[in-house]
Amino acid sequence: MSKYLAYPQIIFKDRGLLMAALADLGYTQVEDGQDLPLYGYRGDRRPETAGLVVRREHIGSASNDLGFVRSADGYFPIISDYDQRTLLEGRFLPRLRVAYAEHVVETVRKRLRASVRRTVEGSVVKLKVRY
Amino acid sequence: MPDIDFTIDTSTGELQMHVRGIAGPACDEITRLVKQLAGEPSREEATAEYRLRPRVHSRTEARVQPKRN
Repeated sequence: MSKYLAYPQIIFKDRGLLMAALADLGYTQVEDGQDLPLYGYRGDRRPETAGLVVRREHIGSASNDLGFVRSADGYFPIISDYDQRTLLEGRFLPRLRVAYAEHVVETVRKRLRASVRRTVEGSVVKLKVRY
Repeated sequence: MPDIDFTIDTSTGELQMHVRGIAGPACDEITRLVKQLAGEPSREEATAEYRLRPRVHSRTEARVQPKRN
C-alpha cells in the first residue's frame, strides 16, 4: 500500500494559477472543495483530506488521488509515494512548480502590460519582463 | 528602461526575481504583486540603490524558494 507524503514547504499561493499549472500538465479535472476525501488505487478511503483533488482515474490506473491541502500560506501538495516516484517520470512536483512559476511571470507581464523575452540556458529559463 | 528578470530552474522549479531600474516604492509594488502570486520568498534583499530617490537606478532582489519548516 502506498502512503501519502505531504510537502508543506512547497506552497502554491494562488488557487487559479495552481489550476492553470495543473491544466498545463494535462490535469484539467480538479475537484474543488473542503476536506475532500482522498482514495487510494484500490478505492480505499485514506485518512488524509484536501481542498483540491485530482482523482486517480484522471492520473493512471495504479495511481492514487492527488491532493492539495489549503493552508494559511496557500496550497501544498499531498501525493502518494508511488505517484511521487512515477508521475511524469518522477518529476511531477518540479514540473508543476515550473508551470506555476511561468504563470506567475505571465500574470505580472499582463498586469504591467509589458513585453517578455525568453531565453533558455541549460536547465534555467530566463524571462525578462520589460515595460 | 525598467525590467524584471525572472529565472526558473527547471530541475527544481525554483523561481528567482530581480527588479532593475525601478525606484523604491514602484519596486515594492512589483515585489508585493509577486508575493501575492508566488508566496513569501525565502530570501529578499534590497541593495543600496534601492534606497535612492527616483531617477536613480534601483534594484531589489527576491528569491522565491520553498519555505523551510
